[in-house]
Amino acid sequence: MADLIALVLLLAITAYSTAGGVDFGAGIWDLLAGTSSRGRQARALIDHAMAPVWEVNNVWLVLSVVLCWTAFPALFQVTFSSLYPLFTVALLGLILRGAFFAFRHVADDPRSHRIADVVFGVSSLLTPFFFAASLGAIASGRVGSGSVPEASFNPMTVAFGVVSVAATAFSGASFLVGDARRYEAPEMVAYFQRRVVAAGAALIATGTAALIVIASEAPSLLRSMLTGPGLPFALLTMVLTPVVMALVWRGVFRWYRISTVAAVGSLVFAWGFAQAPYLLPGRLTIAQAIAPPATQLVLLLVVAGLVILGVPAMGVLYYLDQRSTLESPEPDRRRDYRG
Amino acid sequence: MDAPLGLAGESALLPSRIQMAFTLATHVLLVPLGVAFPTLTLVMEGIGIARNDPVALRIARRWSVVMAVQFAVGAVTGTILSFEFGILWPRLMGRFGAALGLGFAIEGLAFFLEAIFIGIYLYGWKRLAPKTHFLFGLVLPPSGVLGTFAVLSANSLMNTPGGITVHEGRVIDIDAAAALFTESIGYEFWHFMIALYMTAGFAVASVYAVAWLRGRRDHYQRLAFVVPFTIAAALTPVQLVVGDLSARALVEDQPAKFAAMEVTWTTRDHNPEVIGGVIDDSGQIHFGVVVPELDSLLVGYSPNAVIRGLSTFPADARPAIVEANITHFAFDVMVGLGVAGAALASSYFWVLARRRRQPEGVWFYRLAAGAGVGCYVAVEMGWITTEVGRQPWIVYGLMRVSDAVTDAPAAYVWTMLATLVVVYALLAYFFVTLLLRLAARWRREDLAPEVGAPYGPRPERLEARG
Repeated sequence: MADLIALVLLLAITAYSTAGGVDFGAGIWDLLAGTSSRGRQARALIDHAMAPVWEVNNVWLVLSVVLCWTAFPALFQVTFSSLYPLFTVALLGLILRGAFFAFRHVADDPRSHRIADVVFGVSSLLTPFFFAASLGAIASGRVGSGSVPEASFNPMTVAFGVVSVAATAFSGASFLVGDARRYEAPEMVAYFQRRVVAAGAALIATGTAALIVIASEAPSLLRSMLTGPGLPFALLTMVLTPVVMALVWRGVFRWYRISTVAAVGSLVFAWGFAQAPYLLPGRLTIAQAIAPPATQLVLLLVVAGLVILGVPAMGVLYYLDQRSTLESPEPDRRRDYRG
Repeated sequence: MDAPLGLAGESALLPSRIQMAFTLATHVLLVPLGVAFPTLTLVMEGIGIARNDPVALRIARRWSVVMAVQFAVGAVTGTILSFEFGILWPRLMGRFGAALGLGFAIEGLAFFLEAIFIGIYLYGWKRLAPKTHFLFGLVLPPSGVLGTFAVLSANSLMNTPGGITVHEGRVIDIDAAAALFTESIGYEFWHFMIALYMTAGFAVASVYAVAWLRGRRDHYQRLAFVVPFTIAAALTPVQLVVGDLSARALVEDQPAKFAAMEVTWTTRDHNPEVIGGVIDDSGQIHFGVVVPELDSLLVGYSPNAVIRGLSTFPADARPAIVEANITHFAFDVMVGLGVAGAALASSYFWVLARRRRQPEGVWFYRLAAGAGVGCYVAVEMGWITTEVGRQPWIVYGLMRVSDAVTDAPAAYVWTMLATLVVVYALLAYFFVTLLLRLAARWRREDLAPEVGAPYGPRPERLEARG
């Protein structure tokens, strides 16, 4: 049961990495869009793509945090005691991003717009970097043993952070291709097709560099990634990333988004499975940290509730999103409203 | 397992407490509308469907957008809170996470369902048949109730711990049902739930009370005022009873908190009720109105009822004098506002019963406009009463706040606090501006308001923004 709960925690982190990644990735492209007319068009597309999911991905983040402290209180305490600087920056990025995305829709003059764009974009970059950095810190084995600065800032945290930014940009671009197709904007389709390829290349490059860092900093993790249970997922990422690039580049718009999610998800899985059964490498295992049985049972019931109630509901939402409106736009009823 | 310190220094206890208080005080402002607004919206939609009233449907449709915007902001402030448990209080979660997490995990489920069903509700306005849309909306109120129950269950566990076996500072066994339903959950739940519905009702109605005062008095404004106001007004007398029951339950459950609320220093019968006023280090009351014997009468229905005093608790196991005064002040303000609300509600029902129409006096609407703010103040005060009144404990009798705090240096937490205050001010400014924008847009045009809102459907066409 403990392993199952650890798997659920990994799934929640993966869900945030993939779904949140798409969202943050759009923000990164927003930052890089510049002020040209094409850039403005790209920003408008990003706005339209993101508005409906504004802050909704926090669900996965909150779920991960709550699962962590409920199922593995000891892990939670040590991790937050060691890595609070990373979490603080990620969190600040998260609020600023949400706030300034809303502000974009409120701002009047071009200057405030520009400020909002920059803050929104930069925080879209910071948050995934620092959240992934915390996973890197855990993987480095320094959480709970080194000092706070040692645990928070080392080659592994930087490596994980950089890879996550590349992966985020990759997912963002891939889904924006879909959004551009939906809005029938061929110019934007081409714009983001190129960016999928560029980000994919960046992901492969940074991923390779990260493997080298892991080799020197956490050799046992690398061993498990290359020969242990992390291997299938590491392979999947290595195969799927070029596949997505090829599909998008050749204009085969099928399976590319699901493959993107699978590629980024496998990346997280590769780390998680390579590190199992350790929550903190060499220090704390799943079995050592797990909460008493009653708590495990409640958690599994909650997860069952999520699956039984949440999944069909998400299906309904997806169906509604695909379905066109029943009526033509309503007639203006201003007459009976004295504004 | 404590992480070794990278930086040593003064304890971060004070800034951590201030930061937690600040972020919670902000989040609690978003809770009433987050939990209770869906119900008001559904009642309005139900009226619209039953009476075939397009105005009621339009109100419901616009409310659903406000609901979504405010839910999105609540999602941000709520996420921050969940991280603060780790950043500020890692030892609390390390020791009690497995028990406190029961409630929060259920809250996670509720939060998830609310987010999806708000999306379905917003999308559904134009994509579902009216009755189907209404039925999907019916998921929202129970999700809100479940989430509220879950969070209060965790809070009750901090107030009246139960269902856990602690050995050498570690929770080694948990009885899930007993930990979820501790002593105080009954009254905490009902008291807060009613408070949320009252606040949402009065707050929404207050917007239209202002509109009434400005001379907008058509069917739209009347309906949008009457529905939420009536719900809130009907709950107000109930709240007085539930609130009274809650306060009296504390005599048994958390006597130190009760003594602080009533600033009772020595244990005695014929205890007076102190209204306002402050207590000093020697237990003397200054200022304030002292009503002889009333406290004993309220607690035990007899002047002979004995009330335990603050001085009977060890000094390190009861609220400090400052904390007692804050608790007492907050409690008095809350009760005063509750009584004022009940008076306003009675006058409303009086006019309704006698003249069979909405009141028309200017003063009634001025007070109704104030009732929304009054309710928010009362919610804050009630929360201060329960949290400050529990001091110095974070988990009553088991763990002190000072033992739960982070090892991070004080300067770090002060900096974080200052940053958060600035960012929250920005967030509040954007939030209010956005709502005012929406209201202004609705006066100009009447196309689907939910398009482009958080959780709402996407616009049909791609338009570069202005």
